[in-house]
Amino acid sequence: MNARTFKPGETVDFVVVGSGAAGGVLARELAQSGFDVVVMEQGPRFTAADFRHDELDYWFNGALLNSLTDSPQTFRRTPNDAATPARDVPAAIYARMVGGSSNHFTANYWRFHEVDFDERSRLGAIPGTAFADWPIDYAELEPYYTRAEWEVGVSGLAGASPFDPPRSKPYPMPPLPVKSSGVLLERGARKLGLHPFPAPMAIASQPYRGRPACGHCGFCIGYGCEMLAKSSTLYTMIPEAEATGRCEVRASSYVFRIDMDDRGRAAGVSYFDRERREQRQKARAVIVAANGAESARLLLTSATPKFPDGLANSGGMVGKHLMFNVYSEVHALFEHPLNEFKSAQVTRIVHDFYDADPKRGYYGGGGLDGRIGPAPLGWAMWAPPPERRWGPSFKSLLEAFPRAMIVATHSTSLPLEQNSVSLDPSLKDAWGMPAIRVTYRDHPDDLAMGRFLQERGVEVMQAAGALDVWKGAQVEATASPHLLGTCRMGNDPATSVVDRFHRSHDVRNLFVCDGSSFVTSGRGQPTLTIQALAFRAADHIARFARRGEI
Amino acid sequence: MADDEEPVSARREFLKSSAGALGLGWLGLHWPSTTAAAQHAQAMTAAPVKSFSFLTAEQARDVEAMAAQIVPSGATPGATEAGVVYFIDHVHAGLFAPRAVEFRARLEEFAREFARGHPGRHFADLDWDAQTAYLRSIEATPFFAAMREYTVMGLLSLPSYDGNREKLGWKLIGFEDRHIWEPPFGHYDRDYPGFVPYDDKPSGSSSSQT
Repeated sequence: MNARTFKPGETVDFVVVGSGAAGGVLARELAQSGFDVVVMEQGPRFTAADFRHDELDYWFNGALLNSLTDSPQTFRRTPNDAATPARDVPAAIYARMVGGSSNHFTANYWRFHEVDFDERSRLGAIPGTAFADWPIDYAELEPYYTRAEWEVGVSGLAGASPFDPPRSKPYPMPPLPVKSSGVLLERGARKLGLHPFPAPMAIASQPYRGRPACGHCGFCIGYGCEMLAKSSTLYTMIPEAEATGRCEVRASSYVFRIDMDDRGRAAGVSYFDRERREQRQKARAVIVAANGAESARLLLTSATPKFPDGLANSGGMVGKHLMFNVYSEVHALFEHPLNEFKSAQVTRIVHDFYDADPKRGYYGGGGLDGRIGPAPLGWAMWAPPPERRWGPSFKSLLEAFPRAMIVATHSTSLPLEQNSVSLDPSLKDAWGMPAIRVTYRDHPDDLAMGRFLQERGVEVMQAAGALDVWKGAQVEATASPHLLGTCRMGNDPATSVVDRFHRSHDVRNLFVCDGSSFVTSGRGQPTLTIQALAFRAADHIARFARRGEI
Repeated sequence: MADDEEPVSARREFLKSSAGALGLGWLGLHWPSTTAAAQHAQAMTAAPVKSFSFLTAEQARDVEAMAAQIVPSGATPGATEAGVVYFIDHVHAGLFAPRAVEFRARLEEFAREFARGHPGRHFADLDWDAQTAYLRSIEATPFFAAMREYTVMGLLSLPSYDGNREKLGWKLIGFEDRHIWEPPFGHYDRDYPGFVPYDDKPSGSSSSQT
């Protein structure tokens, strides 16, 4: 590996804050375009050999996550409530390591549809919300979706879904082998006249660019891939960025401030190194890709006398419009074993309810998929209905685990100004920086859409011949790994943080590109769109840099 | 990427040597169907002697009795045989040390509450049905939620955490930890004929309509 190490005091072209789904792409694209890049990553660098099948540590002890011990967070439902410290699970969840949450994601990689970008124009305003069109449309993003699918590595079947938006190229790999949950979801859905199709997944179904095919171990959701088959940026974008000889990935480096010069331009970043010593990295431009919680926090903690409310925040929009996506579950038992603990989570999905339908009486849309979720421990912990949570009835349910599956629903979250990431006024992290405070309450339409999809999931499982079907509890969200919308894109500096090229309205050489850029939530599964945005942003940023427009 | 080749191939070699596990069918045939009480006695005497580092002896008896109520023994092993009490003890001195103070306080509060209605006795002293009835009465408490959570963890986490002994929990639930599986994975994907494409745009959807 010919990864570059820059000398202290050296000024690089770009500092990219964050090495995850977006940061990895930006680093690779800019380094391959000939720019010097330093990627700052809070977390450590792991290799495939470090990842374990340890459900207790990964799912109940946050082994890969931002730790509440070092990085406490607070949560409140509304701005009128007192925020209380998050316990056990952070409110804003992410994997803190090189490659970020692209390591532990489930790897669902559907594209957003045309409607996701201009739904406000199609449906009209929704009172009390900040529902808006994106400043770009699907057609503009399409080439970058294709690029992401090929550069990162996605398995799927083009044209299989009658609802899919137009695409310029098929997937680079065929779909993963179907699981019993996929067969049953497809069987039930087809009986009801729906159109299930093979799930696009960022997991190699065959050897791809030096990586082996999936070994079907089943430890995707919440785990790093031990086989290099999951297309995490740790295995794809990051090593390719380093191979240019122009990129350094600096792990265990926690950026706490974007440094500004007296002309109002970003001059680099200040960070704590692994010994918690304060360091600086100078750069000609700064790109923040630290996820929808940390990107917002960094802009807010970087306030200066000229920017007293934080950087890029003249419109007061930084941290606002946090969107989690709504998730719910339907559980089913069948006659014969499915053994869903094997292989990738999802092999079939349903998009028949993707579009909003005014006839439902509320806004929203979403998708269904077949899966099992974290297992066996997670299933035993969370799947049982209230009356079968302990005793002989619980034990007999445990014995039915091989015959179980879940229909998971994924759907819209409306952008609400009060749902936000902000700085907690009193709580500090282990480095003395203000803690993240999350304010979140699902919009009633979002919950209604989740319930609607749960009902459809029940019907699909019944049509598939399930012996037993029950709905998971639907609770208002207090935590999520989907961190969307907090530095939204837009043409108007009064209502957005970055422009259509991810350049902040207020600081010419400061860019923000990750889930925070989203204007609407899509229907879940945001990572492919985050990466398409990152490929597009890198393309434009490289052009600006070459033309001296940064 | 060359650096990563070695661990992967080494892992594959390791995996080839891992044999298939015994399924539930085997357990059902071979596990002696005795009473829960006999199971309990057998497990207690047959269990490797392990000391408790977090629980007191009395707490351990209560915890083990509660875990046995949550996942009972019977025709197949339960929490007792899987050594859940040892998990609960050891995990609070290890991985969950940060939660130890809170769990200990809840255990002590549980014992105090219990003693109020049962002077001089412990939960483990009750007969089976009385234990069940008592747990029903505290089903909604945070303490019982924690007990259930720790019992499930002790049953199904890696045996290195000292529960899930001899992988009895995994055998019970029908799970096997492997690094490589091959299709077919289950009954229903065995004869899947392949994906049949759709002819045209479905009419029932609201796609692209506003």
